[in-house]
Amino acid sequence: MIELRDITKIYTRGSVTFTALKDISFNINKGDYCTVVGSSGAGKSTLLNIIAGLVHPDSGNIYYNRSDIYQQKAGDLNNYRRKRLGFVFQQFYLMPYLTVAENIRLACHNKQHAGKLYFYLEKFSLSGMGNKYPSELSVGEKQRTAFIRAIISEPEMLLADEPAGNLDPGNRSVLMNLIGEYHKNGGTVILVTHDPSMSEHSNISITLEKGMIQNNTMRVPSTQK
Amino acid sequence: MNALRLIIKELLYRKISSLIILFTVIIASAVSVGIYSLSKASENETRKIMREQGLNLYIFPKGTNLIDFYSANNTPCFPENYIHVLAESKTFDAVRHLTGILQVKYPDWKDHNGSSHQILLVGYKDEAMQRFLPEQEIMGTDVVKGTVQVGALVARNIPEGAQFTITGNDGRQYSFDIARRLGEGKGMIDQGVAFNLADLQMLLGMEGKINKIEALGCVCKDGRINNSRKQVQAIFADLEVTEISSIADARENQRLMMNKYGAFIIPFIIISCLLITGFLFYQNINARKYEIGLLKALGNSTGSILMMILAKAFILGLAGAVTGFFAGTLVAEYFGKEIFLFTATSIKPLWNLFWYSLLIFPVLWMLSSWIPALIASQTDAAKVLAEEY
Repeated sequence: MIELRDITKIYTRGSVTFTALKDISFNINKGDYCTVVGSSGAGKSTLLNIIAGLVHPDSGNIYYNRSDIYQQKAGDLNNYRRKRLGFVFQQFYLMPYLTVAENIRLACHNKQHAGKLYFYLEKFSLSGMGNKYPSELSVGEKQRTAFIRAIISEPEMLLADEPAGNLDPGNRSVLMNLIGEYHKNGGTVILVTHDPSMSEHSNISITLEKGMIQNNTMRVPSTQK
Repeated sequence: MNALRLIIKELLYRKISSLIILFTVIIASAVSVGIYSLSKASENETRKIMREQGLNLYIFPKGTNLIDFYSANNTPCFPENYIHVLAESKTFDAVRHLTGILQVKYPDWKDHNGSSHQILLVGYKDEAMQRFLPEQEIMGTDVVKGTVQVGALVARNIPEGAQFTITGNDGRQYSFDIARRLGEGKGMIDQGVAFNLADLQMLLGMEGKINKIEALGCVCKDGRINNSRKQVQAIFADLEVTEISSIADARENQRLMMNKYGAFIIPFIIISCLLITGFLFYQNINARKYEIGLLKALGNSTGSILMMILAKAFILGLAGAVTGFFAGTLVAEYFGKEIFLFTATSIKPLWNLFWYSLLIFPVLWMLSSWIPALIASQTDAAKVLAEEY
């Protein structure tokens, strides 16, 4: 599904260069749950953004269903993000002037998606909150809203960047269960975190350090456990 | 989600910034409309005042001494149809309001008491239509055939209700209804009588002849008189053009006064408002970089983000243009009534300006947001979404 080949990314600020990723190669298949673990500055967010089509690698290729995403036209790359990917961020990034329902609708591309809005709100304990603004929500409610926004268009792949970074243990557990449920239903997950304990549900665990893969562990997919 | 709804909700959320931008459009639009309306009112006022003072160009046969008009009655004449030739010329556009005149001294007019007076007789031809030029309001004196308008000094010697009677060149007595007794202070005509040209020509046996054309010279780049003279003499080399400069200068100065102020104030205000708007949009973009990054991550194209910012500027520009138009018109009406005595009641909304405002201000405000919009569209989503709050 996703194949990374010799991905290298170097950032330059003035005369200082910083190698964020160096010769990264791995495959992720449909239905995989991949956790990328590493300390701050290890290159995990850069890796996620490269997979998301938001950051061009300096060298190497990334294939989605055998098509190099960075060789596509800008419109195709936008479509790739819109239709294939769902994002969950540590900071939630909810629009402050949109209600919960409107924030979620930002990711809806058709009436079918929008029609499932209230189903998800109820499922994720947000029923009756569709007309509330983010400032009226608790942290856990914000993250669940962001999660619904990520999955409402039924993306093939969920990209999560430190999704539990701002959550207390209770909310963190709820979120991880939601991600796990998305995975069980056939979704592909790539989750980056600094916390090794979050890789317990994954079948692929990649440890990054200074932009290089230190460890690439393949396990039996959790759904098959 | 509907892009328009997103724009409106963002506008309402960032109320202060939106209101300041809206206010800048209103100020720019109101000042432009107000000054332009006052400028038009000033031109109309000038036209009214100057109409009282008469036309500023005299066209004579070459060699005529101007003094002769007031001291002799045998100044050279030229054919009346010269006017038609001038009016029909497509290249003759530096002179407007062509009025053919026959002006002579009448040395021995007898009043009702039989006293003898030297008076001025002036025959006015209807103003010539220059059909190749835009139509204008009639400026010259119109005297209906069979009637006369008598000057204030002559009128004192004619009883109310009586006709004006004068002996023609053929020795016969001719009588004319007095259409109007002119007030004092009208210049030479105070001691004269205004006729329809055809009546005076018949009276004096000078059919088809005139000795002067009064007209209005344009405000031209190479000077009023030079251009007018060049155009007249290109058609009739035997005519000369003289300018009554005090009238012309007064007219030009008055007409240019508001335009001069407007030419400085309007661009100054508009540019200042555009700079403020550009700065506010830039701030707005900075405050929204996470939102823009998110929209990109959700698959929105660079073009759609650019259009979203421009559409916001367009909406504010449109709302400000409409409000500013009515505010500017109200201001012009309020101050116009104080300033202009003759045309105070005729200061009305300039509706053609309304449509121009609806076009110009939204476009200008879109241009002012162009650079911030470009910056927004180039936002590096990965970078801003990776930043901590």
